[in-house]
Amino acid sequence: MSLLQVKGLRRDYGALRAVDDVTFELEAGTILGFIGPNGAGKSTTMRIIATLDTPTAGEVLLDGQSVVDSPDKARPLIGYMPDRYGTYDDVTVWEFLDFFARAYGLKGAVRHKRVASVMEFTGLNPLKDKLTSALSKGMKQRVALGRTLLHDPKLLILDEPADGLDPRARIELRELLRALADQGKAVLISSHILTELAEICDTCAIIEQGKLLATGKVADLLAQSQLGTGTELVMRLAAVAEGEAAYERAERVLLEQPRVGQVSRETGQLRVRLELEQGATREQVDEAAARLLAALVGAGVPVCAFSHRELNLEDAFMTVTKGRVA
Amino acid sequence: MSEHVETVAPATLSERLGDRINPLVVKEIRQGLRTRVFWVCFGLMLLACVLLSLMAYADVKDGGYRARGNTYFFAYFVCLGLVHFFVIPYSAYRSLAREREDETWVLLALTGLGPRRILRGKVTSFLAQAALYASAVGPFLLFSYYLNGIDLPTILIVLVLGAAWLVFLTVLGVCAATLADGRLGRAFVHFLVLGMLAGGVAQGLGGAFALGEGGSRLMREKEFFYVIGIALWLMLSYGWLLFEAAAARLSLVTEDYSRGPRRALVVQVLVSAGVVAALWWSQGQNREVATAAGVVGCLHLTLSGLFVISDVDGQARALRATTRAWSLFRPGAVRGFRLMVLMIAGWSFFCAVLGWNSDDTRNNWRSLTYVIFAAAAYPILYFAVAILVGRMPRSDRMSSPAAVRVLFVSLAGLGSVLPPLLALLVDEKADNGLINLLNPIVGLVAFGQHEYSKDEPKMTVELLYFLCGVAALAAFAADRTLVEREQRVHAS
Repeated sequence: MSLLQVKGLRRDYGALRAVDDVTFELEAGTILGFIGPNGAGKSTTMRIIATLDTPTAGEVLLDGQSVVDSPDKARPLIGYMPDRYGTYDDVTVWEFLDFFARAYGLKGAVRHKRVASVMEFTGLNPLKDKLTSALSKGMKQRVALGRTLLHDPKLLILDEPADGLDPRARIELRELLRALADQGKAVLISSHILTELAEICDTCAIIEQGKLLATGKVADLLAQSQLGTGTELVMRLAAVAEGEAAYERAERVLLEQPRVGQVSRETGQLRVRLELEQGATREQVDEAAARLLAALVGAGVPVCAFSHRELNLEDAFMTVTKGRVA
Repeated sequence: MSEHVETVAPATLSERLGDRINPLVVKEIRQGLRTRVFWVCFGLMLLACVLLSLMAYADVKDGGYRARGNTYFFAYFVCLGLVHFFVIPYSAYRSLAREREDETWVLLALTGLGPRRILRGKVTSFLAQAALYASAVGPFLLFSYYLNGIDLPTILIVLVLGAAWLVFLTVLGVCAATLADGRLGRAFVHFLVLGMLAGGVAQGLGGAFALGEGGSRLMREKEFFYVIGIALWLMLSYGWLLFEAAAARLSLVTEDYSRGPRRALVVQVLVSAGVVAALWWSQGQNREVATAAGVVGCLHLTLSGLFVISDVDGQARALRATTRAWSLFRPGAVRGFRLMVLMIAGWSFFCAVLGWNSDDTRNNWRSLTYVIFAAAAYPILYFAVAILVGRMPRSDRMSSPAAVRVLFVSLAGLGSVLPPLLALLVDEKADNGLINLLNPIVGLVAFGQHEYSKDEPKMTVELLYFLCGVAALAAFAADRTLVEREQRVHAS
């Protein structure tokens, strides 16, 4: 049984339906990326799972128990990090973690050891006596992550944790999250930085206007979004006298070829989506690309750059969503 | 990292004691003692007290008797009062307001501490800081006794009342921090708090000055201790009520947020009933005491009840299973409305019983009784009408708690202004009893008036029956509306 089960979740604010029939599951030891444009319902869904809000309809089961019916029992299993880190001024890193450890009911030596182990895990030991107000954004974010780990929750809910972090801090966060998943924790993470999510998430869920549009592994999302096997050819034509006509000729030639799904023109580039069988090998992709290139050159199209690009989460997201808000 | 530590060394006594302290107290004191505000205020206050002491020494060093104690006591008290009645409550307000602005409040709520424990921690930590300030000024206050002109009981009374005022203002500050969510609202509340605290400082220092000047004389009056007792009771009971209201506002929807404030209100009313009964008895079973208590009590219940009856419809699923039909302390507008109707009616009935058992046989006894019932009927009527207007339509446009409160104030305002205008339009007196029957202000005044020329009340008992009947019908309709809405919310 999955650690987290969200079934038919709905949340209305008056006439506005912020979350509409959202259903997904999350296994222990996995990371689920929650993707959606601003106002899609990500934070509302996360707040409901974190027991900070109640759904209009639907159910959230955590470890088999209803979060909606028994929020008090669910809270110890949840570590929630909102999009704002929530640190205090005039408090050192150690004092901050010690305070939350006290708030979680940890006592005496157990508390001290727990705070020490969290500080070690998050690499905060050198900053132990530094005021949290003097920390960089990346370090504050580590402190916030440390706070969510103090009571050893089974489920971590992280709302935009990578927002505003520099590349180094993002990589470090990614490593921390992977380590947590390896320890058996389930991680639900929302982010706008899709490349970031694609690298750390085992599965992704795309939400827009409160509705869950697609869910699964990145490859499954590409399949669900009808993007084919996930290969796209990108080419640029030499600036010759015929100009626009060359692009039109290239498009005509390409569309006559087998296994060509979609041809589009973007900022002086031609993008060609290949329609290969599910599980096509690299060799098959290369062969199809070579055939296309030969056809283009044969037709006198002045190709000056030709490469292929793996389709990624960003492509799936852009295809599945329409940029609308609830 | 995720492994639990099983073997731990036995905790020392100080650690065990430290573990028992509210975590918020530990955190706030750590934070507070690092702030510039604390050290600047502490330093300035101490410096001012030392300078005042030097002045006092210079003033009395010739050895002659001079009653300067009260003056210097007040001067020292000003030093303490500025910090106690302004800096501490304002710091408490800012502390909680920042928790909400920075959303650290949410993190605290998830720890399982609960809003009441968190607020208690906040208030306690600021009172602990206040105790630190007081410990510095304490010796100087005692020193003023040796300057003659003020006695120890007066000093004690001023300090006790000052402490109660400090608690009240601190709770008020904390409560105000829960009021607004938006930036504009927060700015408005900020200025409101500054204004209230400025008034609080003026009142606190004014009271201390009056007591310091005439405390020993006032203490010979029997009523003085009644006034002190009532003042203490008001400060502490309203402080408790505000505290519970703040905790309720900070509770998560899944928590039984309404229990605290409703219980505090009921306890406050029950104890007040005892106080009123004792006062009525001590004043020779005076009917006017019962009438005044009836009207003032209903006014208080109207103001408090406005927040109770405008609760949201229904309750979180986690709470429904344990909610019975008459669990009036549980969340939900329907239970809040029923509780307030019962309390207002009960209070009015209690005061009427006191009135009926009064010894005096004045002519206006009927008017004094009618006004008690009218004071209960008007709020019930206007509560019900506000609910009917706001929540009877299927649209949710005017059903929010704030909208219901605004509707109540607007309807009561219209009900007070329109009938006199109507009376003038039809060439009647503006305070015509019949036309103003549903007017909560003029009508109430009319019910309390006695026409001595005819030796009968201005308003007949039939008009009172009519008013009570309309209020009862409106209350019934409002109750049904709320029940229907709750069922609809729960069904969805």
